[in-house]
Order: sequence, then structure tokens, then C-alpha cells
Amino acid sequence: MIDTLITIADWPGVKWVILVLMFALPVASLLTWAERRQSAMIQDRLGPNRANIGNIRLWGILHFVADVIKMIGKEDFIPGNAHRGLFKLAPILALVPVLIAFCIIPFGPTIYPHALFDVISTDALQGMIIHGGVANDLTWADQITLQILTIDFGLIFYFAILTFANYGTTLAGWSSYNKLALLGGLRASSQMMSYEVTMGLSLMGLFLIMGTLEPGEIVRQQGPNPWQWGIVLQPVAFLLFFSAAIAETKRAPFDLPEGESEIVGYFVEYSGLRWGMFFLSEFIEIVFISMLITSLFFGGWQVPFLHDDGLYLFGTVTEMNHITVSLLRILSFVMKVFFFCWFQLMIRWTLPRFRPDQLMQLGWKRLLPLALLNTMVTALILLWIQ
Amino acid sequence: MDTVTQSEKTTVGRATVVTVKREPSQTTSFMMTLIRGMTVTMRHFFSNLFTKTQTETLEYPEEKIPYPERHRGLHRLMKRDDGRVRCVACMCCPTACPANCITIVPAETDDPSVEKYPAVFEIDELRCIVCGLCVEACPCDAIRMDTKLHAAPVEFRGDAIETKTSLLERGGLSHAIQAGKGSDWRESEQ
Amino acid sequence: MSERVVLGQKNPEDLEASNDLMTINMGPSHPAMHGTVRLVLQIEGERIVASDVQPGYLHRCFEKEAEYATYNQVFPYTDRLNYLSPMLNNVGFALAVETLLDITDDIPLRTQYIRVMVGEISRITDHLTCIGASAMELGGFTVFLYLIKVREWFYELLEELCGARLTYSYVRIGGVSHDLTENFTIRLKDILARTKNMLSETETMLTNNKIFRDRMENVAIVSKEDAIAWGFTGPCGRASGLDYDVRKDYPYLIYDRLAFDVPVGEHGDCYDRYLVRLEEIKQSMSMLDQCMEQIEPGPIVVDDLRVSMPAKKEVYNTIEGMIAHFKHVVDGVKVPAGETYGFTEGGNGELGFFIVSDGTGRPYKCHVRSPSFTTLQALPFMIKNALISDVIPTFGMINMIGGECDR
Repeated sequence: MIDTLITIADWPGVKWVILVLMFALPVASLLTWAERRQSAMIQDRLGPNRANIGNIRLWGILHFVADVIKMIGKEDFIPGNAHRGLFKLAPILALVPVLIAFCIIPFGPTIYPHALFDVISTDALQGMIIHGGVANDLTWADQITLQILTIDFGLIFYFAILTFANYGTTLAGWSSYNKLALLGGLRASSQMMSYEVTMGLSLMGLFLIMGTLEPGEIVRQQGPNPWQWGIVLQPVAFLLFFSAAIAETKRAPFDLPEGESEIVGYFVEYSGLRWGMFFLSEFIEIVFISMLITSLFFGGWQVPFLHDDGLYLFGTVTEMNHITVSLLRILSFVMKVFFFCWFQLMIRWTLPRFRPDQLMQLGWKRLLPLALLNTMVTALILLWIQ
Repeated sequence: MDTVTQSEKTTVGRATVVTVKREPSQTTSFMMTLIRGMTVTMRHFFSNLFTKTQTETLEYPEEKIPYPERHRGLHRLMKRDDGRVRCVACMCCPTACPANCITIVPAETDDPSVEKYPAVFEIDELRCIVCGLCVEACPCDAIRMDTKLHAAPVEFRGDAIETKTSLLERGGLSHAIQAGKGSDWRESEQ
Repeated sequence: MSERVVLGQKNPEDLEASNDLMTINMGPSHPAMHGTVRLVLQIEGERIVASDVQPGYLHRCFEKEAEYATYNQVFPYTDRLNYLSPMLNNVGFALAVETLLDITDDIPLRTQYIRVMVGEISRITDHLTCIGASAMELGGFTVFLYLIKVREWFYELLEELCGARLTYSYVRIGGVSHDLTENFTIRLKDILARTKNMLSETETMLTNNKIFRDRMENVAIVSKEDAIAWGFTGPCGRASGLDYDVRKDYPYLIYDRLAFDVPVGEHGDCYDRYLVRLEEIKQSMSMLDQCMEQIEPGPIVVDDLRVSMPAKKEVYNTIEGMIAHFKHVVDGVKVPAGETYGFTEGGNGELGFFIVSDGTGRPYKCHVRSPSFTTLQALPFMIKNALISDVIPTFGMINMIGGECDR
């Protein structure tokens, strides 16, 4: 019975529903409120704090519910000359790829439901757990991987999938029959294409070091020691990837496709829920980028000095059972993700917007050569070590 | 016609011309930009997160900034000691009003010392530009704008017209003494 | 703009003749156009080949309305010219009329100081809004709100002084309507100190900000010759190296008693306009400090019943006062027949009032030389061959105020 449940829980579809629809999506929705509150605090305002159900006010956290209700209630306006099919398709194309891309994110460590209250160790020997003092072989039903899909080409899959989001914005601009939207769509496609190159190349060094493209494996390899994390091994790659990733989310200082004071944005003609999908996809991308950066550069769910069987600190070992370790690690992942979400919002409210040509110059003339250089230097160092 | 000129070009002033300096563009970088910007935004963020010392906005309907003494708000009509309207329908305020928002229909009273009173006194608050010239133009301290109230939003244009009744409801007793030795304008009330 | 040469880019002259251009409307309903001006741009990609500026969406017949108003009734209208610095308009109009009345020298010293002080406060609010709004349109929303917060302090101070936040109607012919409040100087000093802090934070966030500088530098360069040719005055003209400031060259009121710097730029680009405005805020603050030291008690209106309204005590209790009061309300200030051009340094440049009087209490003709209008006419020239994104800082730094431009 329990084995069946575990097997069901390990199905990718079930995990997707639990991890994406019940974790990532709510976090993204909360971010819409968090951004407004955070920007308010940065700007010496109070921000939205009044949405309430009865007396439950909770600093206005319920604002995202109010937003959804408002967006449902709004007229779904489609311009007369718009290409209706593409116009309706575009928001879906913007939203769905990001939701799919979550499949590769390692949300937490592998959990062994049979050994929840035991002290286990998998660090020494992969695939073996010490269960009640006896080393057992693992079966498929014995573990739940907190990663929806474990695929060897994980990050390539992400790059491929996220390119579809590009279609969403470009088609939205094109199908709206609006010149400003068209400009926004064109800006979006050129920007995302340029920055995807940097994004991919900036990770090359990391791939070389880790020898894998699978995020879960990258996290496991980084280990619990912070000096083995991606940020220490590849600091330049982190900066490049972070800049390129923010550019991918189309938010300030890279919010040129939107550029509300210049060209109003690729979604000028959208209203109601369709606009909400663009809006939400932006925030989901923030969450996604935070998760990816956490996984690749900050040890993912790893807690500093926390091994599978306990905390190794100052030469002493504090033993912990499996469930404590797992919960700590999931918490660590969530905290890191929240930190990077917060950090991205801070950047968004600190920096002004680029100009298109300067954006291209930054992407092609500075970030891309740097990424190439980083790859080469990493490769040379690896060669020298070997 | 004569042409009057303002003044001749002089060099009496103590002004000096300086050139604004800009730092060489090499001194800027994206990282420094981010760090400098973040120091400011973080400082504001954390000080507003834990205390409200820097927060400028208020929880509006519950908290309000008190209006200053001289604030110009909705009009009111002042009363005499016996409760009658102080206005003598001299038509100064409609004349002074740049927006023509005051309508007065004068009528005669039985009181020989007063002669006239406004049978109709209406102010269209939608037309009013709240300049305060009517208060300045009043020779008998009958109209004032010190209610510290706003004109409320209305659904129909007609609802925005303040009638004599509503103006008098807000009005108080004016102690300014006329035609004799008396206090200064509003002096006695302060 | 020499760096903007791109391989394969067509010759601007060829482009203008071609039919492949996209016409795009910016405004009047556009976030950057402040709702009051329409730009019709001919673009090739994102490059602007030709543009047409169409102001007039905020035309409210100021000049014609003024002909039907007594001189004192014009003040509420002047509030609505440059609504970011109404006091400067108030003062400018009062000075023009007083020049016609030939009572410029009789204005009490205290009044002159008060006028300078409220004027400089208005100049600060004007520049704050300009810098803040430009920063906002470039994506720096935080800076905008910091500066608006500062502006709000000044607005509250002026509200305490004259009863309204924005539409002050404070100045009168021959004086001002209220004396300073008791704690005016204390509050002003407090506000100035806080403003200095916020300004330094703004500078930290903007002045050496790489992105901001990239957006502002070498954008819309106007040479000194061009600036003179287009009639630039004020911060825009000074940024182009034109060291013309009415306060310096034709000192009015008590500006000759104040020591201040007139900042001029070297390059004439948007960044210089930003720097000049920032420096002018600081100079205005130092001027306010000097005024607070120098100001002395005294009357606030001219002691002349033909020019200024009698005190209320007189009106209530003496027949002369009552008659003078009625003459004022009904006829207005009788200004001798003649014409004058009174010019002061407004928020955006030389603010001139050309007034023709036929001897009655109402102007025969009142024309405004609005600095925004003359600067705005150069916009097509400034954004030619620029990118659409360059319109934003250029337009922002011109600080075109619809009320003043369209009158």
C-alpha cells in the first residue's frame, strides 16, 4: 500500500502538480504582491496592504487573489484587426514553457520514505543507504526524487523550452495589430535571442567542471561545503548567467520589450486574464531563474556543512535523522530561492532601463566574449590540473 | 503708447558662472552602479521594513495630515449675532470670482441697518477653482473658505452646487465688527 | 550622435524620400508625453527619420481669458501655466504689471524677499519633478518617488503659507496675499536639511549610474549656436553653454543681493541638462539660506490704495477703505496705458509676460513667452536620427509643461 503510494508520488505528473502548481505558481502569485510591497518599502511608501477577507488582512497578502478576481471580471478585448488565433495563442505560449521548464529543477534531495527516522548516509557510496545499520539495495519504489524529470540533457532541455516563451512575446506583439506592440515584440525576440547565447555559453565552464548537464547531479556534486559551490568555482559565470537570466525575464533594467514609457509594451492590446498570463509568466520566470541560479551556483538544496547523516561543523558531527535533514534541505532551497527572488526585485527597483542598442552592445560585445573567455580559461585550468 | 522696459543689463549681481563637471565616463561601471544604487535602496528597504521612520505615505482614511490654518477648502457663510446671514449681497464675490461660480440673488430685508440679504446664494463647487479671491473680496467677513473640507465627488453636476442652506450650516458666528471701532479681521477669534 | 553609424544603414536623406517608413504616434495618450503633446514619428526600425511635434492639447485660452479678468484675477490663471512652479509665474506676472505701474522700486523689501523665496522653492519643485519624471521614464521609478517625496515637503510648506498645494494664487499686484507663517523659516530650514540628504541619495543613484549616463550622454546634443537659434533659455540653454540667466543678467527683485552660481554645461547633451538642473536645485537652496538670513520684518504690500487692497480693518470700519475695496473688486488695479515685456527666470527658462494696457483695470492684451514652447519647437531637430528610446530622455529633460506650452 505504502509502496504504491510512493510510486504514485514519484510519478512526474504528480510531482509536477505538487511542486509547480502547488509551490512555484503560488510563490509567483505571491511575488506580484511582494513586488509591490517591496517596491513600496524601497520607495518610502506603504504599498498595497488592504486586501482582506473579513478581518484577515495579513499585510495585504490577499492582494493577488483580488488581482485574479479583477482580471477575471475584466473585458477580454481583442482588437478588430488582430489575428485572433495567434492573439489567443500568444499568452499560452508565454506561460506554458516556463511551467514545463520547472521539470528539471531539483526541489530537494532524494527522500527515502522507509528510512525517514533513521540516520542514513549516501555520501560515501551512491545508491546505497545505511538503513538501521544495514546497507540495503534501493528499489525504484523506495525513493522519491524531488525533481520532476531527471534527464541527462537537463539544461539543454531548459534552453530549448524557454525559446518557446520567446514566440509568445513576439507573436503577442505581431498579432495585436499595433505598431507599438510590434516594436515591443521585435525587441523581445532580438533581446532574448542575443542573451540566450550568453546564457548558454556562460554555463559551459560549469558543465566542464561538473561533467554533467543534469541539474540534480550538479547540485549533488557541489556538496555541502560552500567552497565547492558553483559561485566559488565559476564566479564570472554566475555574473554572466545572472545578467542574462534577468534579461530573459524581461524585467528592469532589461524591460525593453515592455518599456512602458517608450513603446508601452508588446502586450498593449491585452486585457484581463490574457494580460494576466503575461504578467504571471514574468513572475514565474523570476521564480524559475532564482531556482536555477540556486541549483547551479549556490548548491541547490544543500545546507552548508550538512551531510546526509548530520551536521559536520568544527570537527564535530551532530547526527540527524533523515527527515530532519531532508526538511532542512528543502527549507534551505526555499530560502535561497526567496533570497534570489527578493534580490531580483531589488535590482528591478534600483536600475533604470537600457537602450536597445546599448543592450545589444552589452550582450554581444561584453557578455558574450566574457563568457567565451570564461569557458576557455576554465578549460585550460582543467587541462592543467589533469 | 509708451513702452516700459524692465531694467537695463547690469552686472551688479553677485552671480558667477560655473561649468558643471562630469566625471570621466571610464569611472562608471555596471557593478559600481548596482552597488551604489543598492546601498540606497537597501537602506530605505530595511529602514521601512522594521521602522516606519522614512515612510511618507499614510493609511489615508484613518490617518490624515491636518490642514494648515490658511487652507482653502469648501466655502461657508458666516452668521450675525442673531443668526441671520452676514452677507449683504453686495455682489463683490461674484465679481471677483474668476470662474464665475457664485450666484447671488439679492432681496431686501426689513432691517434698515442691513438693507439687503441674499435670497439665493449658490456656489458651484465644480466650477470653483479654489483661488480664495471671493474671501478677499468680501467687505463684511461673510464668506470664508476655512472649513478644511473638500468638495465631495458627486454623481450629478447639480449636486455639486452648494446652496445657501448648506453654506450656512457650515458657517459660524463672525465677530468682526463693522462700521465702528472694532477688532481686526478675525483678530478676536484667534 | 556620430557613434550611431551602423553598417548597412541607409542614408538619412534617402530615407526621408522613401516610402518604407513606419509612421507611429507617440501621444497624446502616451506615458512619456504627459498627456499633452503628440509626436508623429517616421521611423526606420527604431531610428527616427522625421518627426512632427503637435502641441496644443492643453490649450485653455490663457491669453484671451486674461483680457476679461482684472489684473489680480489673472493670478489664478498664471498658477495653471507651469503647474510645477506656479509661484514663479505669479511673481513673473506681478513684476510685469508692476513695471507698467512703475512701482517696482516701491515694493517693500520683505515682499521682495518673500517673492524670491517662494519663487526659488517653486524652482526647486520644478527641477525635482523634471529630474524625477525623466528618471521614471528611464525606468528609475525609485528616484522619481524619492524626489516627489521631497517635492511634497515643499508643497506642504507652501500650502501652510498660502492655503493650497498647487494653485497658490499667492502673489498680488504690489505685494503678496499673506505674510510668512511664524515657523516658516524653521520649517524651511528643516526641509532643506532633509532635502540635502535625499538629493545626495539621488545623486548616488543617478549621477554616476552607468545605464543612466549611457542613456543621457551624447543624446540630443544642441550646440550653443543652435541653442541661440532655437531660442533656448533656462536650464536647456545653459546646458548648451549659453550663460544666460535673467537673475544674473537682468537682476530683478533682490537677486542682486544674493551670491549664487549659474551652472552651464559644456556638451549640450541631456546629461548636461540633468547636471545643470541638479546644480540649480543646490543653488536655489543656498539662495533660500541667504534669504532667510537677510529677510527683515516689514509690510508685505505697497502702501498705496490704488495698487493694493486695503486692510480688512479699514474695509470694515472706514468709508475710504470700503470705497477703495469696492473699486478694487469692481475695476481692478488701474494700470496706465502702455506696453511692457516683463521677463523673469522661470523654471524652464525666460518666462516673459507681454502686457498691453489701455488704462483700464484689465489687460488689453497679455501674451506669454513660455519657455517650454520655444524649447519644444527644437524637439524634431533634437531627436532626428535618434532612436525611439532617445525621445524619452530628450523630451523629459526639455521638461515641457503642457499648461505653459499650450497656454
